[in-house]
Amino acid sequence: MIRVPGIGRVPPEATRVAMRLAAVLILGIVLTALSSVFLRAANLMNVLRQAALLFFMSSGLTLVVLTAGLDLSIGATVALAACVAGTIVKGSDSVWLGAATALGIGAGVGLLNGMMVSLLRIPSFIATYGMLWVLQGLAYTYMAGTTVYGFPSALRRLGNGYLLGVPIPVIVMTGLLAVGTGFAQRTVWGQQIAMIGANPVAARLSGVPIKRRLILVYVLSGLAAGFAALVYLARLNSAEADIGSSLTLPAIAAVLIGGASLFGGVGTLAGTFIGALILTLVLNGMNLLHVDGNWQPLVTGVIIVAAVWLDLRGQATGR
Amino acid sequence: MTALALPKGMRAPGLLAVIAIMVVGFAAASRDFATPGNVLNIVMQSSTLLLVALPMTFVILTEGLDLSVGAVVSLCSVALAEVALATGSLAMTFAAGMLVGALAGMLNGALIAYLRIPPFVATLGTLGAAQSLALILTGGQSVTGLPSNLLFIYGGSILGVPAPILIIVAAYAIMHVLLYLTPFGSYVFALGGNREALTLAGISWRRMLMAVYVLGGAWVGVAALVLASRLSAGHPTAAIGMEFDAIAAVALGGTSFERGDGWLFGTLLGVAAIGILRNGLNLMAVPSSVQVCCVGILVILAFALEALRARDS
Amino acid sequence: MTRISAMALALVLGAAAGQSAQADGEKIAVLTKNQTNPFFQAERVGAAKAAASMHATVLQYVPTQADSIAEQLSEIDDVITKKADAVVIAPVDYKAIVPGIQKINAAKIPVVNVTDRSSGGDFVSFVGADDHTIAKKTAEALLKAIGGKGEVIVLEGVRGTATAQDRLRGFKDALAEFPNVKLVASQPANYQRLQAMQVMENLLQANPNVAGVLAANDTMAIGAMDALSEAGSKALITGINGSKEAVDAIKAGKMLASGDYNGFVQGCIGAMIALRHLRHEETPKQVTQPTVVITKDNLAPYDVPLDQRQCPSWDEVPKS
Repeated sequence: MIRVPGIGRVPPEATRVAMRLAAVLILGIVLTALSSVFLRAANLMNVLRQAALLFFMSSGLTLVVLTAGLDLSIGATVALAACVAGTIVKGSDSVWLGAATALGIGAGVGLLNGMMVSLLRIPSFIATYGMLWVLQGLAYTYMAGTTVYGFPSALRRLGNGYLLGVPIPVIVMTGLLAVGTGFAQRTVWGQQIAMIGANPVAARLSGVPIKRRLILVYVLSGLAAGFAALVYLARLNSAEADIGSSLTLPAIAAVLIGGASLFGGVGTLAGTFIGALILTLVLNGMNLLHVDGNWQPLVTGVIIVAAVWLDLRGQATGR
Repeated sequence: MTALALPKGMRAPGLLAVIAIMVVGFAAASRDFATPGNVLNIVMQSSTLLLVALPMTFVILTEGLDLSVGAVVSLCSVALAEVALATGSLAMTFAAGMLVGALAGMLNGALIAYLRIPPFVATLGTLGAAQSLALILTGGQSVTGLPSNLLFIYGGSILGVPAPILIIVAAYAIMHVLLYLTPFGSYVFALGGNREALTLAGISWRRMLMAVYVLGGAWVGVAALVLASRLSAGHPTAAIGMEFDAIAAVALGGTSFERGDGWLFGTLLGVAAIGILRNGLNLMAVPSSVQVCCVGILVILAFALEALRARDS
Repeated sequence: MTRISAMALALVLGAAAGQSAQADGEKIAVLTKNQTNPFFQAERVGAAKAAASMHATVLQYVPTQADSIAEQLSEIDDVITKKADAVVIAPVDYKAIVPGIQKINAAKIPVVNVTDRSSGGDFVSFVGADDHTIAKKTAEALLKAIGGKGEVIVLEGVRGTATAQDRLRGFKDALAEFPNVKLVASQPANYQRLQAMQVMENLLQANPNVAGVLAANDTMAIGAMDALSEAGSKALITGINGSKEAVDAIKAGKMLASGDYNGFVQGCIGAMIALRHLRHEETPKQVTQPTVVITKDNLAPYDVPLDQRQCPSWDEVPKS
């Protein structure tokens, strides 16, 4: 249980976790009842692997949201990083060079975002929205309508490989979840980040180097996007300029479904993981149940709202 | 009642500087830019966005966001097109558009004010509902064959003034009066900065917040009317993405996402900036990929200039 | 360079040389739907090549928000203001574009319609095929290849776009001709590769024995292809667009076919007709391109990178 100065006791984590898991369980039970193939190991592994890509993007975003910020540029970061890194891998045959490029671009974008938000005091919504357009334009210009595809198998293993029967992205996701949660909840830096969103005045008064921490969270968000770009390249064996446009909103939705608040101070990586899982389950369910394409936006919207509402009930009972 | 958050004279000078740079630059780069015909085009092209950005200002003033706007405009355009085909009456068409928009607003308001769902998530939900409804109603096709009285809304003029301009002037006037000259306007500011003040004054903040979203929905219906007239069709996905342009315009204009601080005229400037940018770049035949970059640069530059200016002062 | 292309090049250059007495340096505005679909990239390159070989220039207009109808209408306003000599347009929505075309007509600028036939307005010519026919022919190729029986899955495009509707209709019409084929699922993947892969993975859970997959574009086909090969499925796949990646996949035997109506050639012909009209030469009212289902047997002309392709000569253009 975290004591956050200025807010007091955050409601018992147990209740909130229970509510979030309840959402997943309800979805799972409904899908099991309606579809005979849902509960198969192969399907569940697929779902986890699909959720992993979404989680990688949302993980850094969770830290940004903790500071009461938002990063709208992650989708475009993934697109640009994937396109440039992919082209470099293709040209140089070096997976490491490509990986360094993707992470470098992600970190660089994050640094720019962080500087705009902390040094220039531009609202994060605006700064990252502007960055989104700039990055997307750069991606279009760089790719000129082409696709880069066909990468060495060393890279592809990251997306398609298995370790002891578990897809590699899922293993990485578990590791990231553990490390990230440890960082956010056990280290001083992590708690400072939460305080910046929850109670900026208290944070400043207690000597938290706010500007530096803000830059840090955006760099982390960018790095996460860069890593997601690598996983994308590995999984899809290709990259083109527009791959990011459909990734941003689901990433944000995953963080919010996971219980984070746009006002800051509240949110966990475990919650984001559950948010990503719920969104992936919705698509899986709609495909398995042959939900007509026209109805899919409604189903997705209803489940997102319902999941957040459930999470809020858990919050309320804890108070 | 606590004091109103009144606009402090000239705000968003960063935006004004950027607009000035663009106007001078485009006029120099293209001789077609600074002509009356082109200026008229910019205004006409921006009309739908302004009709959506004005109520969005109210929503953002309440520390909210409305992501459903694009989908609801599309849905309203479909609904009013069907009514226009069925009845041929402009009044009924108008009513249908506003009604559907207001209903969507009511859904948003219910989720946000009564179920306490954060606006980002709640309006995402409404987006899904509106999108699905529009697709189901039309089977994915646009609705055409609209009667000429509907086409008049975009293409016609009264006493030489194009109809859309009359509509947006009226819209701006109405919203200005609502925001700055009525009690409702002060409630809107209070909803963003100081909800307790409303409760202390015996006013249900939930009802006021609901009213903001319903009002927004009604205006979305008007925007849909203009859009449908421009396209001469109701279309289930025509306005997707409009919400982000609207939010950007409001933010550019100096309205803050927190604390109920804002400037309605700034929204007008924000819409103008976006319209000028796109028009100018098209006249210069700048490649589309570079245009995409420029939109981002506009947004960042306007704020960066303001930030640098604030640091120096 | 093949002999035919060399002849074509010579003819085009010869024709262009013959035109030099006319006013050169015309500016053609080419309006396409988005930056992401390789079909429109090919169209843009084709138009630019044809115009260059005829001593004219092309101004490319693409909405910054993909497939934005309103933006395309604004582009029309701006193109009229800029007084382009002619317009070649692939409308985002063939019904909603009509007021825009009427404006171009009122401004007395000649306009050529490419790709999707507009439902109104006056055009110098229409160049294209239609999504319905392409989808139907491609689907027929797949259904024949699977022996007319088995399970089939359809991956749809973006609901609400005209192309997705027409292609879906084409698939369904073809399916109706093969009564022993069962359509087990039809799900949207929004023309996106990642979505297609995930949707395919999901659908394979319930239908592991699917025999054929009809994808409404190449990007989705390739995404599905990866999911299928990972699951060890032997299903045949077809896409639409004839993109370079698809051609490579067909060569490698991973994809069966891709339906194409050759955006590159459409762009060439569209620009050629616009310029011929400006130079008072005769132009056909319509050029219906033959639908090509690209398979292993006929992929040679599609295997050439865009910048190395040549526009057809005027005589080679099928005029109807």
